[in-house]
Amino acid sequence: MSVLDELVAGALEDQRARERETSLEELKAQAATARTPIDAKRWLRRGDGIPVIAEIKRASPSKGHLSDIDDPAALAKEYEAGGASAISVLTEGRRFLGSLNDLDAVRAAVGIPVLRKDFITTDYQIWEARAHGADIVLLIVAALDDADLARLLALTHELGMTALVETHTRDEIERAIAAGARVIGINARNLKDLRVDVGKYCELADGLPDDVIKVAESGVFGAVELEDYARAGADAVLVGEGVATADDHRLAVERLVKAGAKVKASEEEPLSTHHGPYYGQFGGRYVPEALVTALDELERVYEDAKRDPEFHKELARLNQQYVGRPSPLTEAPRFAERLKERTGLDARVFLKREDLNHTGAHKINNAIGQALLVKRMGKTRVIAETGAGQHGVATATVCAMLGLKCRIYMGQIDARRQALNVARMRMLGAEVVEVTLGDRILKDAINEALRDWVTNVKDTHYLLGTVAGPHPFPEMVRDFQKVIGEEAKAQLKDWYGVDHPDAVCACVGGGSNAIGIMNAFLDDPRVNLYGYEAGGDGPESGRHAIRFAPGTGELGMFQGAKSYLLENSEGQTLDTYSISAGLDYASVGPEHAWLKDIGRVNYSWATDGEAMSAFKDLCETEGIIPAIESSHAVAGAYKAALDLKEKGYEHPVMIINISGRGDKDMNTAGKWFGYLTDEQSKALEANGAQGNNA
Amino acid sequence: MRETIDIIDNGDGAFVANVTEETQGAAARVPEQPLGISHRPSPCRELFAAYKAQDKPAFIGYLPFGFPDPDLSLEAFRTMVDNGTDIVEIGLPYSDPVMDGPVIQAASQIALRNGERIADVFKAVETVANAGGVPLIMSYWNLIYHYGVERFTTDFANAGGAGLITPDLIPDEAGEWIEAADRHGLDRVFLVSPDSTNTRLRVVAENTRGFVYAAARMGVTGERATLNDSSQELVARTRAAGAENVCVGIGVSTPVQGATVGRYADGVIVGSALVHTLLDENGAVRDPVQGLGALANTTAALADAIHGCRA
Repeated sequence: MSVLDELVAGALEDQRARERETSLEELKAQAATARTPIDAKRWLRRGDGIPVIAEIKRASPSKGHLSDIDDPAALAKEYEAGGASAISVLTEGRRFLGSLNDLDAVRAAVGIPVLRKDFITTDYQIWEARAHGADIVLLIVAALDDADLARLLALTHELGMTALVETHTRDEIERAIAAGARVIGINARNLKDLRVDVGKYCELADGLPDDVIKVAESGVFGAVELEDYARAGADAVLVGEGVATADDHRLAVERLVKAGAKVKASEEEPLSTHHGPYYGQFGGRYVPEALVTALDELERVYEDAKRDPEFHKELARLNQQYVGRPSPLTEAPRFAERLKERTGLDARVFLKREDLNHTGAHKINNAIGQALLVKRMGKTRVIAETGAGQHGVATATVCAMLGLKCRIYMGQIDARRQALNVARMRMLGAEVVEVTLGDRILKDAINEALRDWVTNVKDTHYLLGTVAGPHPFPEMVRDFQKVIGEEAKAQLKDWYGVDHPDAVCACVGGGSNAIGIMNAFLDDPRVNLYGYEAGGDGPESGRHAIRFAPGTGELGMFQGAKSYLLENSEGQTLDTYSISAGLDYASVGPEHAWLKDIGRVNYSWATDGEAMSAFKDLCETEGIIPAIESSHAVAGAYKAALDLKEKGYEHPVMIINISGRGDKDMNTAGKWFGYLTDEQSKALEANGAQGNNA
Repeated sequence: MRETIDIIDNGDGAFVANVTEETQGAAARVPEQPLGISHRPSPCRELFAAYKAQDKPAFIGYLPFGFPDPDLSLEAFRTMVDNGTDIVEIGLPYSDPVMDGPVIQAASQIALRNGERIADVFKAVETVANAGGVPLIMSYWNLIYHYGVERFTTDFANAGGAGLITPDLIPDEAGEWIEAADRHGLDRVFLVSPDSTNTRLRVVAENTRGFVYAAARMGVTGERATLNDSSQELVARTRAAGAENVCVGIGVSTPVQGATVGRYADGVIVGSALVHTLLDENGAVRDPVQGLGALANTTAALADAIHGCRA
């Protein structure tokens, strides 16, 4: 006799004893007067969360005694207060120490659906469940033949109840579906270590009809397992020990409910309007508690501004009258010819000209938006980090325009190689602080800015320059940059009569220009999106800033967000390298990490050599000098063209985002291509007009 | 029979596992109660209960692990406990410590340069536990996430660790850590700061186990000539939000400051001032004998002042 047989036999024996007290007819009469059953199916699937079925559980055969539960009603109320969607009550008495009295007590105490959990094999037990006010019963496929399963299911439905049908194998799932099950419990425990085996769960749940509710039934203990199951597509979870033996039952359920809501929100579509803090598993707020109040305030003020037409009017006015927007969309026929020579693809190529903005790059779009928020918050001081100096200059510029006090943190190495930009910022009235700690590059400037913010958060706003950092920065910066793609989309139609591009290329450091141009096209599957990271000397060299290629970035938390991160085997941040200071960052915006994982954007890289060669190509063919950052997007266009060709495109339309102009890079380029003698280079350096890492 | 029983309801929701020969074999290898909640009492809480009975605050001291080098740092931790430190906050050096001021940043960089390895930190945990102190680890979250939260907490608990202080992990993001702490019976120390709202204080108090770490001022770690009055009010607000034990750190460095804070807080946390004893005025590592001597003296003076401040 198997253990299951033994338990079923025991349950039957106990039933017969009860039947001598209460006949089936009497039960039916009781059932008629019992509280109307709740349609539990409505409680077990929802768009904004993962319903939790919390269990009243005293013991189990494997673990023996778990918890003294003197007052199951009180426990059920705590579960309900924590946000449980249903209560599971064990009524088996021999091994699980439950009873129908528990069911009665719980039923009387809560307003949510109640599940009778027992070894049910007879009509009598179903009627009994209903008579005691249950809304859901458990049916175990392994304990029933097809005929019994179908009959008990039909009776359950007839009585207005829901059956949670427990399965363990693909075969059992098919039997359950054939018998008419609408709510399937899937047990996908890895018996070796008792951890949730999401792979096995997916295998079992694969191909289930959409209208079947899938309940993950095993191994859910805390937020970790719930998240795993939720991301694997489970509709609801059943949790026993994790809540029954917790010190604070309400809090334990609440944590699970919150974790479920987080997963649902993190996968919300459409992509273009997706809200933080989470992008799939990425994003969040990995910051000191001391910054939470400021981040909350920023989020509140931003949400408020978004709803305020005056804010949008002011932003639009400044964009037009101060920045010079819209930036043009320029067709590049001679570059397209070169692209054709190299790749054989006959494409129309358009350049989005962020290089023509005031201050020479897209950074000003975000700086103006955030500076207006600073005014709304009533703060008086702005701090910012900068690598190449573009964001620092943009921030210093808007602070001068709006009369805000401004301090820019810059790594000492960056400050030396971008002395001209240091001079520009100082000219604009900003205080430039050279950071001499750590590696003295961009990430260290951000660390120092964060330390300043933690200390002076009351009157200071941290004007972060990219779609990274803690929520709400990735979402807010995206919103301020998405004007790039919106304009490009409209210009392509209005100026050139083209309905949509087939491809969009952008460079990705933190990722703000890329998000900015891609956002308008994220939900249009006809548009192929390509992001190019800084390849430095190539992925194998160890000298690069590639986060997405295999063997480069790993998942980690860095400067406020969970994303891909370049780190060593100890979890310490790695030094990065690129000829372009603006792409030289160890992590990447969390939305990009998500877009990579869901396959919406194709990420690759361009090496220093490829970027510099593309830099030259654009200069020669179109008379446009792109920033070395943007040159990575131009170099990427050659790679994208090959991909498009392979996909069968013959005459595709491509947009390349020229995120900034290359004047600042002339010394680097001069050295790279040998246009400058050593003496001329030195003279430029003496003028403080150095380029990047050359 | 034991094997077959093990596969019945071997965890949470599911009633019956797949009853086959194969899974019975697998189930037989299942460790006892691998997923249960540990009800081991909170080590910090026990210490505070004992001290409350004597009406004295606890002294919590911080040093980064591996500083000045891995061996000396074990000596340093022992010295701290021997000279009256009740709870030792073992810091894990990190390349990007955003909550730390110049002294601890410098010490962390020295430790990293001298070959600090995260896997060796458990030796420090054992050292503190063997010396009779309560070992906590203070770490920026990425280090533990990268090592593996479950793996880290298992190794830490096995070494005799009591809990973690997580300066850049707020309870809202701490799902995996909260679960691991429940399974291993570890203390979770979250932070609050003077501008935390009452709502935030409640969130922190509710998710904390052991004690809440109240920052004496807005800002990063480091010594200050004067103490801010805001910390006393913060301690009161944090208690009102439901925290059982509240300790104060960040900017507490002298015995006088320690005694002042100790009159109203359950514990006093000192970091940079201890780190400082091992460095010379140029920020270089001092001769080890001199350094450990200075560490012993500073620790003893702080311990005396703090333990005796309510007498």
